[in-house]
Amino acid sequence: MLDQLAEWLDDRTGYRTLIRTFSEEQIQGGARWRYVFGSTLASVFLIQAVTGVLMMTAYSPSSASAWGSVYYINNIMWMGWFIRGLHHFGASTVMVLLVFHLLQVVLTGAYRKPREVNWWFGLALLVLTVSFGHTGYQLPWDQKGYWATKVMTNILGGAPLFGPYLKTIVVGGTEYGNQTITRLYGLHVAILPILMILCLWAHVMLARRHGLTPPARPERWAAETYWPAQTFRNVAFLSIVVGIMVSLDLIKGGAPLDAPADPSSSDYPARPEWFFLCLFQMLRHFPGRLEWVGSIVIPSTILLVLFLVPLLDRILPSRFLHFLACAGVFGLLGGAGYLTVEALKADAADPQFQEARRKADAAHERALFLAASPQAGIPPEGAGFLLRHDPLTHGHAALEKKCLGCHFLGGQGTGEQTAADLKGFGSRTWVRGLLENPAATAYFGKVPSLGGMREWKKRSKLNGKQLDDVADFVASFARIPDDLTAEEWLISPGVAEHPGNQPFQKECGQCHIIEGFTEGGTRDAPGLFAWGSTRWLSRMIRKPGAPDLYGFFEDKAQMPPFGPDQLRGNDLEMIIRFLHNDYPLMPGTELKGTVAGVTVKMNDQVADQKY
Amino acid sequence: MTRRDFYRYGSIVLGSLIKLVIAVPAVAFLASPLRKRGQDAGEVAFAALTSLNQLKVGVPRSFAIIQDQTDAWIKYPSEPVGSVWLIRQPAGTKPEVIAFTVECPHLGCAINLTADGKSFLCPCHASAFDFDGKPQNQVPPRPMDRLDVELTAEPDPQVRVKFQRFRTLAQERIPLA
Ligand code: FES
Repeated sequence: MLDQLAEWLDDRTGYRTLIRTFSEEQIQGGARWRYVFGSTLASVFLIQAVTGVLMMTAYSPSSASAWGSVYYINNIMWMGWFIRGLHHFGASTVMVLLVFHLLQVVLTGAYRKPREVNWWFGLALLVLTVSFGHTGYQLPWDQKGYWATKVMTNILGGAPLFGPYLKTIVVGGTEYGNQTITRLYGLHVAILPILMILCLWAHVMLARRHGLTPPARPERWAAETYWPAQTFRNVAFLSIVVGIMVSLDLIKGGAPLDAPADPSSSDYPARPEWFFLCLFQMLRHFPGRLEWVGSIVIPSTILLVLFLVPLLDRILPSRFLHFLACAGVFGLLGGAGYLTVEALKADAADPQFQEARRKADAAHERALFLAASPQAGIPPEGAGFLLRHDPLTHGHAALEKKCLGCHFLGGQGTGEQTAADLKGFGSRTWVRGLLENPAATAYFGKVPSLGGMREWKKRSKLNGKQLDDVADFVASFARIPDDLTAEEWLISPGVAEHPGNQPFQKECGQCHIIEGFTEGGTRDAPGLFAWGSTRWLSRMIRKPGAPDLYGFFEDKAQMPPFGPDQLRGNDLEMIIRFLHNDYPLMPGTELKGTVAGVTVKMNDQVADQKY
Repeated sequence: MTRRDFYRYGSIVLGSLIKLVIAVPAVAFLASPLRKRGQDAGEVAFAALTSLNQLKVGVPRSFAIIQDQTDAWIKYPSEPVGSVWLIRQPAGTKPEVIAFTVECPHLGCAINLTADGKSFLCPCHASAFDFDGKPQNQVPPRPMDRLDVELTAEPDPQVRVKFQRFRTLAQERIPLA
C-alpha cells in the first residue's frame, strides 16, 4: 500500500531520482571527516530556522512589548527557555563551524579554479551570518540588546560620507525605539533569511557541480558513494555538535535576558557577544577620530583580500599564494584570539566593570522577579516601566539622588550629613529611637536647628513604658487615611482610648500642634497630624517651608522644596513607597538596603577602598 | 553487520535522535497555551456590580465586569473583561436576582435584548432566549449560562456576581478553566 503510494508519487514527481543524485554521488578518494563542516553548517542553519520560526509565534517586536514577550517565552511557555537557548547557542555554534569550514577550504586550497565563484558565495554567507548574529541579540530589547544596538549603529554612523544617513535609516530615526526594533526584526527574520537561502542554495549547487575537493592522489583510496559513508560521518559529527549545543543550553538554563532597556542607566557595562569581542577590543586601540578605521576599514580590507585570493592565484605562484593564504588566516585567527583574551582579561581585572556587571545582574534578577510577582507584573506601558515603577529600585535611586546629599539612609549618604537618617522614617522604631535619644546622629544630632526635641528630652518625665506608648501612637499617624480630617480622626475608634494619647497630649502637644487636640505654643514645631503618611511626606517634600511644617525656620536651615520640576510625580511616589517598604520582596531577602542592587552607593565606596 | 550497514543504521538512529531533540520541545512550545497558569486557574472572586434597588423587577440590565486582566506577559489593572445581564425577580422569589453572562452558548457573541425589550436575541445567528434563559429556537445548544449571585446583608444589598466563561456549542455548561 505504502509502496504503491510511493510509486505513484515518484511517477508524478521523480523525487527518487532527485534523492539518488544526492545519495549516489561518487566521492573520489572516499568519504572523509574533513568534508563534514559544510553539511553540519547547513544543518545548524536549519535548526536556527526552526527554533527561530517557533519564537516568531511568540515574540512581539516593539519597544514596549519585546522584553515582555521574551520573558514570556523564557519563563512561562513550555520549553521556551530551551528553544530560545538552542537558538542562542546555535548562533555561537555557527560562528565556530564557519571558522572551521573556512580553515578547511583554505588549507586544501579549495578557493582555486574552478571554485572561485563558490568561494565568493562562501564569503557572502560569512557576512550574512555575522549580520544574523548582530541583529539577533538586540531583539529582546534588554539592556544588552539596547546598548549593543546603540554601539553598532553608531559605528555605522561614524563611517565617512554616508555614515550618518545610513545610521538614521537603520535606526528608523534619531531615537532608538519601535522603528529600530521593527527594522532589526525585519532584517533578522525576512531579509537576511531570504538572502541566506539564496546564497546557501547557490553555494550547495556549485559545490555539487564541482564535487568535493579530493585529496592530492585520490586513486590511493577506493571511491565511495555519498550515502551512507559520508552521510554517517556528517550525522555523527552533527550529533556531537548538537550534543554540545544542548548541553550548553541545559547547563546555562537557556539564553540570558538582562533587565529591560533603560536609556537612562549610566553605568551599564555593554559588551557584545563573545564572537564580536575581538572587534570590540580592537576599537579600544583606536583613537576616537580614527574609530572608523578599526570598525570599518580593517574588516572590509580583510574581506576584500579574501575576495581577491582566487584571482591572485592567477598572478602569483599558486604554492606561494597558498602559503600566504594559510599564514594570513591563521594570523587573523591568532589576532582575534589574542584580542578576545585581552578583552576578557581587561574586564576581569577591572573592578569598575565587575561592580557595574554586579549591579546589572541585580537589576536583571529584580526585573525577572517583578515580572512574575502577582503584586507587580509587567505594566501595560511596557517592560521599561517595570523597574521605574518599583520603589525598591527607582524609589531608592531617586532618594539617593535627591535626598541623600543631606539625609542619610542606614548610616550611609552621598554627602555630609546635615539631616536625619531616613531609614525606617515614619515607623515605630524610628519614633521610639528619636524619643530615646534625639541627639543621636541618626536623628537630630547633626541638625543644630532642631534643638527642641533635645530640650524636651532633658525635662521629660515620661518613663520607658509611656515612651513605648507614645511611639505606638505616633507611628499610627502614618496609617491615617488620606480623606480623614484631624477632627474626624480624633473621634474615630481607637484614638481617644490609645494609651499613648494622654502622654502625647501632655508633653508633645506643648510644641506640636494638632488642631482640636494639642495647643503647642511652647516652641515652634512641625504639625504631626498624619505624620509619616503619604500625604504628610509628599507635603514635607514639596513644601517643607509651609507654616504647618518648618515655616518657622530661617531660609538657611530650611530643607529645599522639591516641586514637580525638581521631582516628578512618579519619583515622589516611588520615594514615599520606598520609605514605607511598600514593594514586593524576593523571598529570602531583607527589607531595604540589603537587597542586591540597592546598596549602590555603599558598594561603590567599598569598592573604591578595596582597590 | 557490514561497514555499510553500520553507516546506514548509524545515520538513521542518530538522525532521528537529533530530530526528536528539536521536535519534542517544539511541540511542547506550540502547545504552551494548554498550560494552566497559577493566576488564571485561581479561584474566581465575586464582584459587586450594583445595589438591588437600582434594578427594576423583570427588566434586564447589563453591567460590565471589571477585573484585573493578564494578557500573556502584561498585567492590566481593572479592565472590562465581559458583561452580564441582571434580572431582578418578583419579591419573595429565590433567588432575588438572576445573572446571565452575555456570552452566547452558541459561538460566543454578545446576547442583546430584542427591539421590543421582551426577550433576548443574539445578533450573530439569531439564538433567541426568554428572560429565564430558555432557548426559543433551535440555534442555541443550551440555555443561557447562569452565573452565581450573592446578595450582601445591607438594607439595600449589593449584588455580587461570580463571572465565569463556559465552553461554547456544548450541551452542558462546562466552565473554562
Ligand atoms: S453566537 Fe449567538 S447565535 Fe451564534
